[in-house]
Amino acid sequence: MNPPKPYRARLEEKQRLNERFVQYWFEFVLPHELNFTAGQYISIKVAESGVRRSYSICSSPAQTHGFELLVDIAPAGIGCTFLENLQFGQEIELIAPLGIFTILPDETEQSLALIATGAGIAPFRAMLCDRLQVAHDTRPITLYWGMRYANLLFWEDEFEELAQSFPNFTFHPVLSQPETAWPLCRGHVTDCLSAHEQPSDVGYYLCGNARMLADVSETLRTKGVTEQQIHHEKFY
Amino acid sequence: MAEPQTKQIGKYTVSVIREKCISAASCVAIAPGVFDLDEQQIARVISQNGNDDETKLLAAQSCPTMAIIVTDTETGKQVWPIEY
Repeated sequence: MNPPKPYRARLEEKQRLNERFVQYWFEFVLPHELNFTAGQYISIKVAESGVRRSYSICSSPAQTHGFELLVDIAPAGIGCTFLENLQFGQEIELIAPLGIFTILPDETEQSLALIATGAGIAPFRAMLCDRLQVAHDTRPITLYWGMRYANLLFWEDEFEELAQSFPNFTFHPVLSQPETAWPLCRGHVTDCLSAHEQPSDVGYYLCGNARMLADVSETLRTKGVTEQQIHHEKFY
Repeated sequence: MAEPQTKQIGKYTVSVIREKCISAASCVAIAPGVFDLDEQQIARVISQNGNDDETKLLAAQSCPTMAIIVTDTETGKQVWPIEY
């Protein structure tokens, strides 16, 4: 993986996905390009005091001249407030690339299960773009994405399109509190995981809050999955 | 005969709060001469002199959970996280 460097980037676009999530597009100013591995994150300086916040890159590594971020604005903390107040064209300072939450190289795992809740979907979008569209990875890849309500989901059309285009990709959105008739998985991602037969040679990639990581890891361990098969990134 | 001189390599001392570390490894990526991950994937200090002070401070500031404490060795004051 490439060592991290300081970058400057400017805000190009932002889109409010729903009441809770915002997607940002940034273009690099200097250096002009970033080579990163899908799943890595950046550290943005959000205050002159030196306070920084970390965000997973949710765009494909093939897109080297800029990057996209997904931000959960519900916490209303210093990071999302800083980003919310940015004007188009305004520059930010960041360090990138960071992190080791990436798909194991050399296709050592025979199939992949990507398990996210909420904004934990961000690194998986980058991984899916990379694995399916760039690397043409033909291993079975399954995405489990847990959310509370249907109206908080986004990118589901994109994932459905990927599933249509790549027969080895399966998408399971899971709602814990569906308000209307929901024909797909209900409950927690652990319920959906348990409902589907899992082969023994899966690499499990988990991204979410500490509670989710603990619950999913425990579920997997009781099914005989080894620690070496479980990789995780904690969102906090 | 000249007086022996002590070389001051850096004025910042870093330490890791293990309980806060989530293995994001940003410290290792930014200051690999100072930090690495132990067998439990928790950050640890391997040398106080492996990188310069600016890099050590940046590594601490980049930690998502503020698990790294930076202290000014000369004054004894905590430099990061900032204490209000």
